[in-house]
Amino acid sequence: MKDTLAPVLRLSAHPDSRCWYVAWSPKGSLLASCGGDRAVRIWGKEGDNWECKCVLSDGHQRTVRKVAWSPCGNYLASASFDATTCIWKKKNDDFECLTVLEGHENEVKCVAWAPSGNLLATCSRDKSVWIWEVDEEDEYECVSVVNSHTQDVKHVVWHPTQELLASASYDNKVCIYKEEDDDWECRATLEGHTSTVWSLSFDPEGQRLASCSDDRTVKIWKECTPGDGDGSTDGAWKCVCTLSGFHILFPFLERLKHIKLALATACGDDGVRIFKEDTTADPEQPVFYLSAHMPKAHSQDVNCVAWHPQEAGLLATCSDNGEIAIWNYHSDA
Amino acid sequence: MALLSPSDDLFDSILMADDRFHVEGYREGFEEGTRQGMIEGRNHGRLHGAKLSAEVSFYHGFALTWKYLLQNSEDVKARKRLKAVESLDGLIQKFPYEDPQYENLQEDMERVRAKFRQVCSLLNVAVDFREYVSGSAGMAF
Repeated sequence: MKDTLAPVLRLSAHPDSRCWYVAWSPKGSLLASCGGDRAVRIWGKEGDNWECKCVLSDGHQRTVRKVAWSPCGNYLASASFDATTCIWKKKNDDFECLTVLEGHENEVKCVAWAPSGNLLATCSRDKSVWIWEVDEEDEYECVSVVNSHTQDVKHVVWHPTQELLASASYDNKVCIYKEEDDDWECRATLEGHTSTVWSLSFDPEGQRLASCSDDRTVKIWKECTPGDGDGSTDGAWKCVCTLSGFHILFPFLERLKHIKLALATACGDDGVRIFKEDTTADPEQPVFYLSAHMPKAHSQDVNCVAWHPQEAGLLATCSDNGEIAIWNYHSDA
Repeated sequence: MALLSPSDDLFDSILMADDRFHVEGYREGFEEGTRQGMIEGRNHGRLHGAKLSAEVSFYHGFALTWKYLLQNSEDVKARKRLKAVESLDGLIQKFPYEDPQYENLQEDMERVRAKFRQVCSLLNVAVDFREYVSGSAGMAF
């Protein structure tokens, strides 16, 4: 493997606690992290080092599971096990809590901003996915509640270019939602995984969706086009590739992010893997190969992996040991 | 039974007694079981029917009340809320919840529940109605 993954630095981000998620701000100048210590931390670069710029510690009563930046970078949403989602507004170098979105019956597992910046999606252990709309006066309103899953919903992600939402659940399925008559509905259900689907990621063009599961595989899905000739109905998705055999130990948690043709996964075996797409393969049947592997990226489960939005190859990860690590991925090809 | 000579009949009736009693007992038990099952099934159906209709009627009453409260408001926000409330009402009116064999019963019920939660969120109404509906818990047949 001539491709390399090299460590850049390590931060003890959430001491004595788990760090659940890291997210780069849209321009990549800030990194937000959240964890079991109920806090959200904002990190910024000072020279060669990353320093904690501020700590948002009184927003939640329980673990903060995910953070998400708005596309404009002025707002941060944090989803917590305390059943609420906090919206923070950036004010100079600090953040203040703008509003708290309530409604879920129990732990909120994920929050995601739509690329338009007007919509927000949250999902929860209460099996529902909520879609919120924000207006010019920073007022948030619930537009739809959808109960398509039969179990805990782990992750929601928006399509990068269309108004389309995808969710992953403990019920082994992925649901795709579209708006119809002011109401959001599940338009397609992707079946194939044989265990909990933990995470989803669209590729930057929105042509394919990658899902990772407790069944130790990563699946790549594509929307069926009418002329496919395999009798599939409009709006259905099919699995075009399954990556298996790579995550040998129990990948209790896998996180994955696409960037160009590389897919990064974070695993419960403490490792980080980068997969690259074989460009010579048929686009209808993509092939991915393991390009780089860092076996002991952290001393415990790696919970999240995030590609830097601007600097190619820069990657952040975080772990159950409370650490954040930054890596440089280099590929010759 | 075919006519048998008295000596055959005596032995037969002893040897076959066990078998005969088993058959008779089975038949009696089966009839009793059928009777009990019918009663239990009916109760089960009644209870579930009552639960479902109580829930749907609750949402319906809720929707009608809020419709009344919001319909005369000129406020833009109120119009949006009214639309959502009307949508809830529409959903309820539309599906045949009285038909237990309706194939999409569960699905449509979930949709109504989800809509109700969304409407509560818009109206800023807490969804914990436990105190109000405790009366229905006392239902028994």
